[in-house]
Amino acid sequence: MSSWHVEDRDLRRWLAHNTALATSVSIEQHLVSCDGCIDRVGALARQDSALDAEMEHGWERVRDAVELHRPSWLERGLTTVGLPAHEAQLVAAARAFRGPLLVAVLVVLVFAELAGQFGQARGEFFFLLVAPLLPSAAVAFGYDPDLEPALEQELCTPYSPARLVVLRTIAVLTLAIPVAVLLGLVLPGPISFLWLLPAAGFVAADLALSTWISPLRGVAVITGVWSVTVWVTAYHSSTDAALHGAYPSVYLVLVVVSLAVFARRAGHVRGAYPGRSSR
Amino acid sequence: MTSARPSDAELLAAIAERDLRAMRELYDRHAPWLTVRLSRRCADQDVVADAVQDAFLAVWQKPGSFRGQGAVGAWLWGIAIRRLVSRLRGRREVLLGLSESSEQVLGAEDQVLLSVAYGDVGQALTRLSPQARSVVQAVILDGLTTREAARLLGMPQASVKTRLARAKVQLRAVLVEGTR
Amino acid sequence: MSDTVALHAVGRRYGRTWAVRDVEVELSDGVIGLLGPNGAGKTSLLRVLATSLAPTTGRVSIFGWDAEVAEQRTEIRRRLGYLPQELGFPRGFTAFAFVDYVAVLKEWTDRTARHAEVRRVLDLVDLGAISTKRIRALSGGQRRRLALAQALLGQPRLLVLDEPTTGVDPEQRAGLRAVLAEAARTSVIVLSTHQTEDVAALCERVIVLDTGMVRYDGTVHDLVAAASGRVWVGDDPDPRAIASWRIGSGRYRNIADRAPSGAEAVEPTLEDAYLLLRAEAAHPERITT
Repeated sequence: MSSWHVEDRDLRRWLAHNTALATSVSIEQHLVSCDGCIDRVGALARQDSALDAEMEHGWERVRDAVELHRPSWLERGLTTVGLPAHEAQLVAAARAFRGPLLVAVLVVLVFAELAGQFGQARGEFFFLLVAPLLPSAAVAFGYDPDLEPALEQELCTPYSPARLVVLRTIAVLTLAIPVAVLLGLVLPGPISFLWLLPAAGFVAADLALSTWISPLRGVAVITGVWSVTVWVTAYHSSTDAALHGAYPSVYLVLVVVSLAVFARRAGHVRGAYPGRSSR
Repeated sequence: MTSARPSDAELLAAIAERDLRAMRELYDRHAPWLTVRLSRRCADQDVVADAVQDAFLAVWQKPGSFRGQGAVGAWLWGIAIRRLVSRLRGRREVLLGLSESSEQVLGAEDQVLLSVAYGDVGQALTRLSPQARSVVQAVILDGLTTREAARLLGMPQASVKTRLARAKVQLRAVLVEGTR
Repeated sequence: MSDTVALHAVGRRYGRTWAVRDVEVELSDGVIGLLGPNGAGKTSLLRVLATSLAPTTGRVSIFGWDAEVAEQRTEIRRRLGYLPQELGFPRGFTAFAFVDYVAVLKEWTDRTARHAEVRRVLDLVDLGAISTKRIRALSGGQRRRLALAQALLGQPRLLVLDEPTTGVDPEQRAGLRAVLAEAARTSVIVLSTHQTEDVAALCERVIVLDTGMVRYDGTVHDLVAAASGRVWVGDDPDPRAIASWRIGSGRYRNIADRAPSGAEAVEPTLEDAYLLLRAEAAHPERITT
């Protein structure tokens, strides 16, 4: 069957579904291994505008399936709660930049949790001191513009720097929070979830502070204030006094006020225009 | 890739290196005939288009699974027809009754052409009963297993086997007759 | 809105050192080359232009907008494409995914239009065929081309490119020059490079920077003309020459005011002119007119 080939006329009829069974079968058996006839089918198909359009459309579907990334579970989750698809993509990109760092922070959290589990009162104190600071530290370490200059290709775009900071914060928290919650559950008593309140307060506070000073300096300030608070309350009453009484509402107020301040001063967020403060 | 027409095997090698242009070239070359051939097994154009897309995606994911056994076209056909079968899942209404095309009467011109140019198989098929034809096409010509053919044709696997056995007997008789 | 990009008395200090000082430059179209040795301040100058760094002194005015004011800075960034010296890529991303991500940052919110634009710029830098490859699998030259692709998104009015051809092989470099020449029809392009051939091929105007200050700002043609009559090729190096080096044929190229013995005068290249300029800046006493 290699010395002869299907004639154009028959190929055309076959393309138009206009050949008898026997002819079709013979054409099909021949085509499978004949480069020349395959090419001619392609050429004839391109002449048919309907078939050509169908082929082009088919290629676009294959190309998109191959080229475009499939949204991660995180992206799909974020779009479900209302974030536009392209911003969910930005969150995913933010996480991709800071992977190893986040792992490091989580390791510290694990140690703090173990201390809390096995260290009794002292351990609990250590946990209370360290754990609420970790989410804001993770955000700050990841995105402090002085520690590591904001990636310039992000900076030199019209995208709002404040919005980008918020997305990056979400990116870090989506990793840190579930793990933190899971770990906290292992601890006995209400401390296992109450510590999330000051943690949330500190993340918000650091965001607000980042409109004046660098996020890392902000975390340093918060660490100082928190250390004093925990120490003093532990000295005067019980170890976890900083989580009871009036304190939980203090943290909630802190979240609300901080976010309001951040929204107000969003244009001044550090990293929006590096080097400006040295004027 | 060489500037002359690259062979299918060369395209597959480039695709293994994630060359999107080679992928496009392979698609442009084979998608048309695969689509038409599949359309003759299934009337639903959307299912056919999906099957073709599935086939090329499978090629992109595992271009190395072609191990040089025969023509790349045959290998592609095997993937495409199987994707069609899995998408059909026994939906009888979209199966193309081969009775349509098999009822078509061959003109005198076609008869001459067939005997001279296309060889025995095509002509032998026309001498078979319609049920035998569809089974022969599915199993012998399209390369499906009896199980896959059963799904494609919407009949139990046992029926496929009996019809196939009968068809082979018929075919042998027809082909032997032709050599006299 | 004006058409010019202007730096007025721009300076940038790090601690006690001035990376750039007293830069006064006005650009309006075409391709402007930025030449200078390492440490000359090219990167700092480009970063100031690209609004990725605030100047310590002076004013940056791009197409009439002041980079100091946040809202105007956003307007500038809408018309800006920047190829930084240090490239940072998200881990695990493919070439396509990376350019798509930058396109989102550049406010391409519509998926279909954005993807078409991503493919367009990838094809421009000849990365279209390997758009599905992970960035970590790309060579250094390919990564630089990828970074150039993101700068080209949206055909920005101002293109700031920090060493766009570094690490790119000669074959690809010719293609990139063609891309930049084409882009120059709609954009002002400022590019820094170590290769005088890039400047000679692409730029009508060149700025030479040395220790943070502008040493030359004018046409390539005029700079080359200044070296006219001072470049010689001979069999021996001239110890009294301003600069002297061995060339491929085994002979020596000399830059000197007086002809070394046995040497014939040749047409100066931009490289000659640049070396002469640097030598004059470094050792004014060696120049005799």
